[in-house]
Amino acid sequence: MKKRIVLDWGLRLAVFIAAVALWELFVSTSQNFLLPRFTDVANGLFRLLFSEARFWEALYISNQALILGFAISVVIGIPLGLLAGRFHWMDRLLNPYVGVLLTMPVAPMIPIVIIALGLGLAARVFIVVLFAFVFITVNTRAGVRGVEASLIEMAKSFGASEGQIWRRIVIPGAMPAIFAGMRIGLGRSITGMVMVELLLVASGLGRLLLEFSGRMQSDLVFATVLAVIIEALALLAGMQALEKRITRWAPDISIG
Amino acid sequence: MGAGHFDRVGGEMIRVHGLNKEFGTSDNGGGVLALSDIDFEVHDNEFVTIIGPSGCGKTTLLRIIAGLIPYDQGEVAIDGLVVTGPGPERAVVFQNFALMPWADVLGNVTFGLEVRGTPPDECRDKAKDLIKLVGLEGFEKRLPKELSGGMQQRVGLARALAVNPRILLMDEPFGALDEQTRRLLQEQLLRLWEGQRKTVVFVTHSMDEAVMLGDRVMLMTPRPGRVKEMIDVPLQRPRSPQVEKSAAFVEIKEYLWENLRAMQVGES
Repeated sequence: MKKRIVLDWGLRLAVFIAAVALWELFVSTSQNFLLPRFTDVANGLFRLLFSEARFWEALYISNQALILGFAISVVIGIPLGLLAGRFHWMDRLLNPYVGVLLTMPVAPMIPIVIIALGLGLAARVFIVVLFAFVFITVNTRAGVRGVEASLIEMAKSFGASEGQIWRRIVIPGAMPAIFAGMRIGLGRSITGMVMVELLLVASGLGRLLLEFSGRMQSDLVFATVLAVIIEALALLAGMQALEKRITRWAPDISIG
Repeated sequence: MGAGHFDRVGGEMIRVHGLNKEFGTSDNGGGVLALSDIDFEVHDNEFVTIIGPSGCGKTTLLRIIAGLIPYDQGEVAIDGLVVTGPGPERAVVFQNFALMPWADVLGNVTFGLEVRGTPPDECRDKAKDLIKLVGLEGFEKRLPKELSGGMQQRVGLARALAVNPRILLMDEPFGALDEQTRRLLQEQLLRLWEGQRKTVVFVTHSMDEAVMLGDRVMLMTPRPGRVKEMIDVPLQRPRSPQVEKSAAFVEIKEYLWENLRAMQVGES
């Protein structure tokens, strides 16, 4: 197990170093003076984190929309998915709307949402929800559909009520898919958060990005993006740890 | 449990009378008759095995007795009470084990007890006794995926026995297991049953199993499923694996095969 972890991180580090080397090579052969070196970006990130108070403020503002939006997406998305998975009438009702939300490009909707909800937190939260919740719904529904019919029959044979079937069979059985949906939803939430801040409501990290690029501080632009990526990775890692604890039972069919 | 309307009829433990079951019934008719005019009784503490070619509706019949699916005509009664759904006097052992993959052995065995509102301490104690009885002591914390097929079905058996049913309904319970495991589990089931008698209805496609376990073997025909014959198995109890060599055992098995073979000639 120890050996495995060392190997994993060794491989990851090797890929990272190769990517950085390619980056440096590209920059040194490019005529583009705006393109920062990796070392510039690392330096920029350091400055952002330790000597730029506005970065932390921006991060705080952006995360308000992210956390609220993601939480609302989970609270709406999971129950809708559960209902659609268990009840045909609900599935038929939701199906066209889910289709629209899955395929609709959200970016063009942003101006409409701003007109309706203004430039405040509400609009940003709404966009995040629009980006994220339907993916959680679709995955949850698939998870419920994947619960073995024989388990539901087993529960019924012992006289389980519909409520007991939900608590004891349907929800635990759908858990791995619910977590998959939440991971995708979290990724989409982060996209939504940055997108709305860049496109219309200049606030938080988006505003910071716009300012840096306006001043041609490309190292800080890169550094800010890097900071968003690091936060996303940290959140996903937290979610994965939780997932592992809860769905330890799920069959592992991966190889190698 | 199993609240609803009951009518008193006959006195046998399980009584099936004039049972018809159609699948795919729509408003304009055109369903497929799965079971036709099924008539039989199972007595108190009797072990009845049901055998027939695939498509004879033996699993459907078991599910109807379990109260898991409705039937169209006729009557199914337990202890004189018409079946309207699952009930506390019945427990089912499933062919594919139907264990919850997220729950450990203890969690699976306590499931039926918990659903029926047994206090947690009592659930644990009863489950532990049953786990011991089926020989899985020390495996309480294992997940189903960490167990062999035979062990998984012993969990299924323990779960059914834990609710102390008077009737055990077994749907090809050993059908998914390899032959060696199957024989060991048959012997274990016989020992358990002889130690604590219950009424058992056991669906199988194995002729050896049908004769080895049953007091009577019910032979069914396919499309639509009908009762061809009820065959007495006059082998003494307790039965040991030695009975397979007895003339009576061989004779009944041959008789079953003649009939089953005749039903399937030209079909496979």
